[in-house]
Amino acid sequence: MDAFVIAQMTVSGALMGLVYALIAYGFQLTYATSKSINFGQGELVMLSAFFSLTLINTGLPYWLVVPGGLLFGVVLGLFVERAAVRLALEQKSEGWILLTIIFGLFGFSAAENIWGRDDRPFPTPISSDPLQIFGVGITPLEISVAIGVFAVMGLIELFKRKTLLGKAFEAVAADRDAAELMGISATRTIMLSYGLSGMVAAMAGILVSPITTVGPTMASALILKAFAVAVVAGLDSGFGVVLIGLFLGALESLASFYIGSGWREAPGLVLLILALAVRPNGVFGKASIRKV
Amino acid sequence: MLKRFLLIRGAELVAFALLSTIPLLTSNSYALGLLTLLAIYGILLIGLDVTVGYLGQVNLAHAAFLGLGAYAAGLSVSLLGFGMFSALAAGLAAGLIFGGLLAFPALRLDGPQFALATLSFSALSVTTLNELESLTGGAQGLSVSRPAVLGHALNAPGFYWLCLILLALVWMAMRNLLASQWGRAFEALRDSPIATDAMGVGTYRHKVAAFALGSALGGLAGGLYAFNFQYLQPNSFVYELMVILLLGIVLGGRKSLWGAFVGASLIVLLPNLLSNRFLFQVFSAIGLLLALAAGGRGLLKKTTPPFQALAPIVAMGLLVVGGSLVQNTEDWRKGIFALMLFSVVVGLPEGLMGFAARYLAKLFRIAPPSLPPPAPLEEVLAARTADGAPLLELRELKRYFGGVKAVDGLDMTVRAGSIHGLIGPNGSGKSTAVNVISGLYAPTAGELRLRGSALPQGSLFQVARVGVARTFQNLQLFGELPALDNVMVALKGVYRSPLPLILLGLARDEERRAQAQALALLDLLGLKDQARTPAKDLTYGAQRFLEIARALARKPDLLILDEPAAGLAHPDVSKLVEIIKRIHQRGITIILIEHHMDVVSELCDVVTVLDGGKVIAEGAAAEVKRDPKVIEAYLGLANEAAPDAAPLPAH
Repeated sequence: MDAFVIAQMTVSGALMGLVYALIAYGFQLTYATSKSINFGQGELVMLSAFFSLTLINTGLPYWLVVPGGLLFGVVLGLFVERAAVRLALEQKSEGWILLTIIFGLFGFSAAENIWGRDDRPFPTPISSDPLQIFGVGITPLEISVAIGVFAVMGLIELFKRKTLLGKAFEAVAADRDAAELMGISATRTIMLSYGLSGMVAAMAGILVSPITTVGPTMASALILKAFAVAVVAGLDSGFGVVLIGLFLGALESLASFYIGSGWREAPGLVLLILALAVRPNGVFGKASIRKV
Repeated sequence: MLKRFLLIRGAELVAFALLSTIPLLTSNSYALGLLTLLAIYGILLIGLDVTVGYLGQVNLAHAAFLGLGAYAAGLSVSLLGFGMFSALAAGLAAGLIFGGLLAFPALRLDGPQFALATLSFSALSVTTLNELESLTGGAQGLSVSRPAVLGHALNAPGFYWLCLILLALVWMAMRNLLASQWGRAFEALRDSPIATDAMGVGTYRHKVAAFALGSALGGLAGGLYAFNFQYLQPNSFVYELMVILLLGIVLGGRKSLWGAFVGASLIVLLPNLLSNRFLFQVFSAIGLLLALAAGGRGLLKKTTPPFQALAPIVAMGLLVVGGSLVQNTEDWRKGIFALMLFSVVVGLPEGLMGFAARYLAKLFRIAPPSLPPPAPLEEVLAARTADGAPLLELRELKRYFGGVKAVDGLDMTVRAGSIHGLIGPNGSGKSTAVNVISGLYAPTAGELRLRGSALPQGSLFQVARVGVARTFQNLQLFGELPALDNVMVALKGVYRSPLPLILLGLARDEERRAQAQALALLDLLGLKDQARTPAKDLTYGAQRFLEIARALARKPDLLILDEPAAGLAHPDVSKLVEIIKRIHQRGITIILIEHHMDVVSELCDVVTVLDGGKVIAEGAAAEVKRDPKVIEAYLGLANEAAPDAAPLPAH
């Protein structure tokens, strides 16, 4: 009996972990091109989810809500790049950390006032009646999360490898100066990466909201775990975030079951601090050589 | 000098005198409450400024240290029966210990990783305070009683005076500390951690010390916070407070005690500002006007990029429009903080005090404090015996990067008192060899000996400590620090006062002596007149010379000059040659890596030529120039028919 509980906890936790992995993947996209990440990404997820909810409430069919929500994420991502990141990058400062935190704070306040402070259900056509697989209950909703996460990550990886724009992206990620000498605009590529990152965040919001409900506080709950996944995996390993995401999701689900739901966040935070202490470049990241 | 002293110290005295008399003038308990908070937040922000201002890191854990200090002080009273001072000490200790603990994992990190580590720590702290219900009362909160001082219960004015006295003490101690070698080291490791280590100033311990110190002040402020409110809740110390604290620091002005004070005043007044709609509208209108004036001026003079000028105007405009539309400004509290912080970070990055300090210095024509006369060079660089004994020996030294054998079995002996040239074509392993000797890289294999005993490996700091100093080919100066301070950071053998004396301001003589010695070195390099210029504003040639002055401040036995003439104009090259000769006269052994063959020929007693990570020739400059292997390495083929042609590129 106990083994089944553990299995159940592990599987549903791991599926949630895929959402963290997807948000962490969004960090990797911008980190690759600009060595910067959006500290307000959690708010971006939350705002996109609220926006999608509004679209649903206007009676729009689900298959139109999803692209609408994704588009909103792209717009927000581009806004973050323009308002909070570009100037700091031009000045070669780390001001973007503070400025993206500010974006997050404003987004939080806006959501509180526009959509209210309460958590709201997010209706979806996908069923949440569990299917029994080897005695473990998995809902089609949870399966849709897994499919959605892998679809988005797969498509972006394909885009990076197969299209000219995607190759420009890889070139800037590999060596910004050399790419600029080859006539690739680093600024535009960074914009592209923030747009994609916003889209990925919106997708995460749309996928997770039917399970967790939508509310302003979902931002901070998600972002800390996504940070943990990104840092533990390393900010340059797409494969790593999926593995670490699955692991961390399962771990926190077990922790909240055995220690208490208040400690839910703890494993991720401890892992993050430990990873930074022991392997600052992440488990799957590459160490860089100091040059003078 | 006197004028400067009177103006600066006078302003501090007047401010504290005014603040301390207020309780005698009014018995308004609300005003007194605000002033008490001002003193507490003053201490808190001075602590935060150490990491945010001096270390230049985004620290998101300071609110957590406030909380940890508050709970530690509160619990020490209720559980252990501590008095006021021991309880405050407990708060301080909590900040110090947790700050030190967090600094250990965080100290290797910077930028986003540091911000993330502190963010996680702060979330973890709040979780723990919430969940340890048996100890902290959890989300229910914890009532704290204010302990007596020496048997007397403190009333409100008494507690206020206590806070004010502590703020004054912290203020004085921090002023002394930040003006000492500690403060300079903090700033140095912000600008270039590598050079800080290479100058024998450990980044490791200074970073831990700075962070622990800032956190300890956070803990102390926490103790006062606990006894001020007498009720604690974990949720008071969350992210939102952290953002408000950052707003205070950035708006007040970084790296400034007055800035922290101004920031604290702002934080104290904010809630009042937000609760009164009219006051808020007036305030936001003033903000918009300021943004318009500053942005317009910047645009007209073309000193600021358009985004930097326009963004604060848009943000402040939003605040004005929003203020007239929204009924309850309190609801939009976070959004308002965000817009204000955004405008300041973008439009006024130096903060109010940074701006005011420049303006006031001009208005009162405050001259920078005078400098002592330079010390005699003999005192700074004592003559060393140049007996020709082996000083540095490299045996079978190897350093591989993956499959690349950058240095592959290097044997070299540098004799005391010589100028030893190290040349070779690009990619021959010169820079890697120097980086291994100076400790930036650990060798893959091989032996390094200095004066017969093993040289520490793979640590810039430890190599610097045994008497090896180096310059960097790609300049690694402390850009924000003046030229004089760049040299003073590295100065060896002057700073002996222990920390308590520094905090009490009793190390001034030492500081003067350090200035005199640093000036002597600047004089040697011809930079004496630019002592007060920030390193980043010096000309390229002057920056190269400053690198040498800074390395000499280590008073080294072995000085490694990594391409000192690279990019120098011709008159500067001649000057460089003269300077190296003068340094050599003091008996300092020099390893010179250089591409200018005329410089090498004129200066070097022995030249080692590298190619492919190995020695291909060694001897006097004239000899190696004729060596067919050397010619082949440079030109690709041996020209044995004309051995006297010396066809080496002379740049």
